[in-house]
Amino acid sequence: MKDPRITGRQKYVIDAAVEGMLHGRILRSVYPSARITSIDTSMVPEDVVVLTPQDVAGLHHYGCQIADQTVLPQDQVRFVGDPVLAVAAESVAAAEEALLMIDVEYEELPGVFDAVSATAPDAPLVHDRHKISENDAAYFGIRPVDGTNICHRFRLIQGDIEAGFAGADVIVEETFTTAGAAHVSMEPHAALASWDDGRLKMVTGNQTPFNLRGDLATIFGMKPEDIQVICPPMGGSFGAKTFVRIEGIAAALARKADRPVRIILDRAEEFQTLNRHPSTIRVKIGARSDGALLAKEVHCLADTGAYADCGPGVAQKMGFASPGPYRIPHVRVESNSVYTNLPPNGAYRGYGQMQSIWASERTMDLLAGKLGIDPLELRLKNLLREGDAYCTGEVMHDVAFEECLRDAAAAIGYEPGQPGLGVSVLMKGMQTPSFASIRVRAKPGGRYHIDCATVEMGQGSRKALATMAADLLGCAVGDIDIPAPDTDVSPPDTRTTSSRSTHMMGRALEVAVANLKDSDTGEGFGEIRENGGLDPDTGQGIASSHWHQGAAGARVSVDEETGAVTVEHVHAAVYAGRVVVRKQAELQNEGSMIMGYGTAMFESLDILDGAIGNPNLSDYNVPSIADLPKLTHSLIEREGGDVHGLGETALPPVPAAIGNALQSLGLTLRDLPMTPERVLAAVDEATDRTEDAA
Amino acid sequence: MKIAFELNGTPVEVETDPANMALSVLRGECGITSVRGTCGIGLCGTCTMIVDGKTTASCLMPVGALAGRRVETVDVLNEDDPVIDAFIEANAVQCGFCIPAMVLTVRKLLEDNPKPTDDEIDMALAGNICRCGCYAKIRDAVHLAAAKGNPA
Ligand code: FES
Ligand code: FES
Repeated sequence: MKDPRITGRQKYVIDAAVEGMLHGRILRSVYPSARITSIDTSMVPEDVVVLTPQDVAGLHHYGCQIADQTVLPQDQVRFVGDPVLAVAAESVAAAEEALLMIDVEYEELPGVFDAVSATAPDAPLVHDRHKISENDAAYFGIRPVDGTNICHRFRLIQGDIEAGFAGADVIVEETFTTAGAAHVSMEPHAALASWDDGRLKMVTGNQTPFNLRGDLATIFGMKPEDIQVICPPMGGSFGAKTFVRIEGIAAALARKADRPVRIILDRAEEFQTLNRHPSTIRVKIGARSDGALLAKEVHCLADTGAYADCGPGVAQKMGFASPGPYRIPHVRVESNSVYTNLPPNGAYRGYGQMQSIWASERTMDLLAGKLGIDPLELRLKNLLREGDAYCTGEVMHDVAFEECLRDAAAAIGYEPGQPGLGVSVLMKGMQTPSFASIRVRAKPGGRYHIDCATVEMGQGSRKALATMAADLLGCAVGDIDIPAPDTDVSPPDTRTTSSRSTHMMGRALEVAVANLKDSDTGEGFGEIRENGGLDPDTGQGIASSHWHQGAAGARVSVDEETGAVTVEHVHAAVYAGRVVVRKQAELQNEGSMIMGYGTAMFESLDILDGAIGNPNLSDYNVPSIADLPKLTHSLIEREGGDVHGLGETALPPVPAAIGNALQSLGLTLRDLPMTPERVLAAVDEATDRTEDAA
Repeated sequence: MKIAFELNGTPVEVETDPANMALSVLRGECGITSVRGTCGIGLCGTCTMIVDGKTTASCLMPVGALAGRRVETVDVLNEDDPVIDAFIEANAVQCGFCIPAMVLTVRKLLEDNPKPTDDEIDMALAGNICRCGCYAKIRDAVHLAAAKGNPA
């Protein structure tokens, strides 16, 4: 049989169906902040099952890091699109009709719609209290600030920041912003829930099967073993399908209906389900006149929306990577995860890194300009090298920043002083601490069966694992079966996020295969555990057991009349260590760069009257084949290098490289995306500067 | 109401409200899951079907409008179709959600224009979104398929 993804035979969760299944739809709040005063469902036909807030009042609060959610909000809704209730009917059409017959009354409350106003002293509170979750996704010290909208504050401190700035010859201080963005995975969120004798079976597109099982167990007060989570291949995710999304509602509906229920979201609902954190980041950096960096202070506000989700983790990662891959003696970072009355923001390809790199790497070019040093040279002078300590105290190993940066610069024909060219470099942490386990069984006929919880969403991890396994076992890739993750069968895994699967699961596989060869049971088991983590109050410790490293270069020109930017060429250089499946790895780079390009130039969730104003693919543009500039990339390998995950690395440096290329033309862009209006404003600013100087 | 049309070479008759969108009838009553919706407004291309030789968004066409017409989806292609082989060879796939519609659109393009240039490919596929970003490899696949020629 030919590859079912190409012939169209592949089945996704949207295709999952069982006998007697009902179709679920969700009624959502039309107010960003309101109290529910009454719900009237009396007009709904009897054969439609209605799940109201009251039905779930006895279920427990959940949330992967802060327990701030209930299956349906009790009393209060917190964003436009917050589910109010749900129905299940024989057909989608009947469910939709039923929704029209329901009357909900609200009393509006004040709301906050950006992280800056949400942190003002008199801001209305989105949640009154912040209870830290007991789930194992709350794996680091979460520091909510009581009586504010801050659900996590991470700090990193090294040296003496005041002394650092006092010794600096040149200081640059700027504030940058990035817009919210939608994942737009092509397959929407979908889940099929059924109950059998008190046991819950959940078939869903989700990157975090074990976290999901844990959260569902919390919600329903069940033992995790009584919940089976099965994750078929997804039609894309990019972070959107993580932790509990619609699974709680599907399960509660199915329990009330006493029949299986499937929910598939429509595109508008996708925009209300999970997005990328908008950010406001202030950077202050000081250097000696010879270019040596002395001090850097970073302040991040990451808007996590109405529910924290993994926002604390995103803010933490945004914070600890914000000093960048440089030797800086004095560092102070504060990164905050902030509630607002917008749809929740969570994991998004790169997890906070794009935002902090945009701010930090743009600042480097402003500093270079002030120092009169070429931006590439300034970077090379300060880069972390093998054996250097990062500001968290950890010692860097398998370091390749310089190779990445030089490769990116060479690819775009970088020449110091030549306008239209820019570069940027990134360091990106991997989920730490982290755990992966896998089981390999020998089958008759020289075949092997592998159980593991790595999910497939198009990134090709399972193909990479099968390739590695075939290599280790000395068989053909086709002799290996890896069924979709099933928590009843698959050994536990932290989750398929942060480009960790090939790296972590790959090593667990090596152990499992060795174990299989040593045993006479025909079965081998392997596990890998990476310890580490940071003290949330000082940022000291092990941020990442290994670092993803990359760089980008861009060549641009601008029409100063219209503000239109022509991106002529973008190149990304990604440190791969060792490439497992080359074409797959190339696809990850290519896909990441395309998303990075969309983020750089046009993708933006517009907030209109407290709601997402462009929740459709007509008003929210994603790159098509006809939109793309010349994109090239390299996978940098090294003899004896670790296998590095590649799923996200080429995205974060792209916007900053393009922004820096514009900087080389004298245009200072501080906000993403770099729309023509913003470019025109930068042209005006540059003109004013020249006139002032004259 | 009964709607009769030809689907992938076989006459079919479905009992449905003619105002229902072809997408939901193809996926539901006809069981064709290679046709998938994601935007619902004719902009992503994943729901592409071919009606009387023309690529058409099934999310925007009421099924009643298909009466008496010839409808094709990727399932009409032989598994040995050069376009399918070219996508495999070029590794032009990640999650695969958008790919059957891409394959179908490319098959149509090559019938009209057996040796398209990059610009012509971009023009033909501009309405097919691949969020995974396989575009470069999809372009390779089109050239490969063009080199292989049309199926016998
Ligand atoms: S679903 Fe028809 S074009 Fe997008
Ligand atoms: S392969 Fe995933 S959307 Fe195209």
